[in-house]
Amino acid sequence: MRATASAPATTRPIFIGPSLTRVTVVLGGGAILLLSAMVVAVAIGSVGVGLGDTVAILGHRLFGLPMGITVAPGAESIIFDVRLPRVLTAMLVGGGLAVAGTVFQALLRNPMADPYIIGTAAGASLGAIAGLMAPILLPALAIGVGSTWLGLGLVQVLAFGGGLATVLLVYAVSRANGRVPVVTLLLTGYAVSSVLAAGVALLMFFSGQHLGAIFGWLMGSLAAAKWINLAFAAPLLVISATLLVFRWRGLNLLLLGDGPAAHLGMDVEREKIVLTMLATLATSTVVAISGTIGFVGLVVPHVLRLAIGPDHRLLLPASVLYGAILLALADLGARLAGGIPVGIVTALIGAPFFIWLLRRSRMVRVVVTA
Amino acid sequence: MTPRLRRPSTLLFLVSLLLTACAPARSGSPSATTLPSVSVAPRVPAHSIYPLTLSDDAGRQVTISSAPTRIVSLAPSNTEIACALDACDDLVGVTDFDDYPAEVADVTDVVIGAVVDVEKVVAADPQLILAAGNELTPTTVIDQLTDLGYPVLALYPHDLEGVYNDISLVGGAIDARGAAEELVTSLQARAEAVATAVAGADQPRTFYEVGVFEGSIYTAGKDSFLASLLSLAGGEPIVGDAASTAIQLEDLISADPELILLGDASYDPTITVESIAARSGWADMSAVRDGHIVVVLEDLVITRPGPRIVDGLEALARSIHPERFP
Amino acid sequence: MTAAVATEELAAVEGVAFGYRLSDGNHRDVLRSVNLTLGRGDLVALVGTNGSGKTTLLRLLTGILQPDAGAVRFDGRPVAEWRRPELARRVAVLPQQLDLPVGFRVAELVEMGRAPHARRLFASTEADARAVSRALADAGALELADRYAEELSGGERQRLLVAMALAQEPDLLLLDEPTVHLDLAHQVALLAAIQHLRDQRGLTVLAVLHDLNLAAAFAPRVAILDDGRIVADGPPGDVLTPDVVQRVFGVAVDEARTADGRRHLALHEV
Repeated sequence: MRATASAPATTRPIFIGPSLTRVTVVLGGGAILLLSAMVVAVAIGSVGVGLGDTVAILGHRLFGLPMGITVAPGAESIIFDVRLPRVLTAMLVGGGLAVAGTVFQALLRNPMADPYIIGTAAGASLGAIAGLMAPILLPALAIGVGSTWLGLGLVQVLAFGGGLATVLLVYAVSRANGRVPVVTLLLTGYAVSSVLAAGVALLMFFSGQHLGAIFGWLMGSLAAAKWINLAFAAPLLVISATLLVFRWRGLNLLLLGDGPAAHLGMDVEREKIVLTMLATLATSTVVAISGTIGFVGLVVPHVLRLAIGPDHRLLLPASVLYGAILLALADLGARLAGGIPVGIVTALIGAPFFIWLLRRSRMVRVVVTA
Repeated sequence: MTPRLRRPSTLLFLVSLLLTACAPARSGSPSATTLPSVSVAPRVPAHSIYPLTLSDDAGRQVTISSAPTRIVSLAPSNTEIACALDACDDLVGVTDFDDYPAEVADVTDVVIGAVVDVEKVVAADPQLILAAGNELTPTTVIDQLTDLGYPVLALYPHDLEGVYNDISLVGGAIDARGAAEELVTSLQARAEAVATAVAGADQPRTFYEVGVFEGSIYTAGKDSFLASLLSLAGGEPIVGDAASTAIQLEDLISADPELILLGDASYDPTITVESIAARSGWADMSAVRDGHIVVVLEDLVITRPGPRIVDGLEALARSIHPERFP
Repeated sequence: MTAAVATEELAAVEGVAFGYRLSDGNHRDVLRSVNLTLGRGDLVALVGTNGSGKTTLLRLLTGILQPDAGAVRFDGRPVAEWRRPELARRVAVLPQQLDLPVGFRVAELVEMGRAPHARRLFASTEADARAVSRALADAGALELADRYAEELSGGERQRLLVAMALAQEPDLLLLDEPTVHLDLAHQVALLAAIQHLRDQRGLTVLAVLHDLNLAAAFAPRVAILDDGRIVADGPPGDVLTPDVVQRVFGVAVDEARTADGRRHLALHEV
């Protein structure tokens, strides 16, 4: 860290934090990698479409450029209707999970925290499965196959609502004397999740032919990606991620503890609520469109912390970028491996890499007591 | 008639056709034609059944805009139906599990390991997709294919009638109603023959073993297709839970089957008459004591709800009442 | 040691009471009626038995807690009327211990002390940089700037905490038993540094200490908190007498003099 000892009394902005070079390399490089990953992931799949054809189709459909060449029948549909929404969904989901995981790890001062830890996954799962089974559970409601609300399926709506409602419940239950101690939040989240998970298990027991669909949803999958879901999710994720990126200072301070953060001028309880709600909004959105994909939200923040340091000024935007890259490439792997759930790929490849990284570096504690 | 004489009239015929074809649709004006009118039938195409809208087994309304010449099947039973209706050559995508008739081995697999590869389906450019209902083809996949603009018929028969209906449905979809009717009639006749053959015979309490795995016993579920076939074949089926098709051992013992059909012997050579008797708890069942255990090798057609289902019915009837089928 | 001079008031508590409800429903009074005034430039040691409410008093001064009764003022205005970042620019707390996030360098942690002054969304200003380096220098931690927090020794961490507090550029520095985890040499060094800083930066200091002799040696003014009230407030020689110590702490001591005439309290044989 270079701190200047004597300088004129100007207020020219300088970065005490990560140097401009570092920021450029990490974020600029990340953006380039993301773009490349997108093109690669769209170009490769179980049906061969040449790179030239892919670029031509993308240019034509996205920017209105003339096609110029003839492509194989179905290629345009494969690229634009099947692969592109799936890759874009993977990027949004990966970025959303990673940034939410980063926020929760700082908020809860816990390296084991992931975006689902205070109940989002359990609530969203219960909602989604209720949606999957609504036609047989409540035939009187006459919810037909393929019924939609603003274009979103019942499963998406219930998953989104279930995730948000659960976190609100956990928050309300954890609140005492106007404060929400972090440990209480964690434990309440765990307890509420357990109850909801039991509900999920019960529904699974009676699910009959829907068991496969339920299991697929719980494992998380990007196979059902569609443009309408992206239209719903993209603005929500962009807004919540952007707002979270701007709140880096609060996250850094929260690492010091509630008391010291308050002494440094932070409205701790308000900040915690805002951060929790924004991160939960991102997580619920992601879960609604892709199920509960694990691993990304837990490991990407840690890997990035080991690589670029824990300062949230850089960590938050980096987590969005690199989470997106990771999931886009993992989904490519999942597709090439025969359409297996993407969560399996992230775990199989990510876990060993994470272990390797851990052995080379410092421990993964978030705080150490002075 | 000499060719020379024929030529002017042929020419006249052709010219009048040409002029009629070029005439405006509402040719009420006197200036439409200048030639004397020749009474020949105007060349208008025969009445087409397309576009048509059908209701599939999932209750969806599916619209097919023109005769499908490229068909993708997402289940072996659907492939067999299409081939039985003489549309085998129209198949451009099948599953890797399809094995009948032999020529489908050359068709591209778009379903691998029970996972539908949407990209391959799109690359096959189908005009009709025959999916399986009841989540055998996941609803999310059906939705995705429908959103991509393909007509998807989900087929899920619960019983023989359902198979006949599906055959008719597919026949209607591909403009092969005649073939469908013929097929259904012949299947119905054979099924009738089975019913007649086993009429009046004592119906033994029949247990059809679908599989035994880690202590769970799987059989025909209550009100299932398999149970209905067992009844038609002249047996009184012992049934398991409707959802999981599992039956507890103690329930099976108290139901006391008089006849055990080893459907899993079709796939597992270690399943034999002797291996059943060796299972703990099974020795006291009537079927085991009396030696009424039959190895069944036709499980594939017994459980595949396509045109060969009646082959399966016949196989079951022969296993349950061999005395009626000399 | 400069003698305390009557100066304008910087912070004060007047008639402050504070208590909380126990899990069994009873109410526990921590502070009953506390009066304490801090003038600009004062250096005051606050002593008292465990549980006498010293830390609570500090929290009331920073506005983290609100009193059940009485007034808490800073720079003439009730503390409750101050916006949190505003107050944090004027008042800093040096805690006993702190959870230090792993992976941050010392300079980055000290920079967190600039949070109340933060003006820009992502960048820090020249003023921030200067404040950080000055804080590091004053805390004697300049050579630690690039080290990782988790690699520091106890004494080094103490200096880091001081630098973090100084980075806020406060007028009032509150120390919450800062010497608890330190050995004697470090205790003395810390308090000497605080004295020096107070002279150099014009700080007002309120230090909660548990060691009476240390308090007497360090501060020109000692306040004793007992049973929810300030029972004594003045120069250590007047306040820390064997009578008071016996009454408040329940321990018998003798007043003694060193060779060069300095007073200290000596325990009886245990």
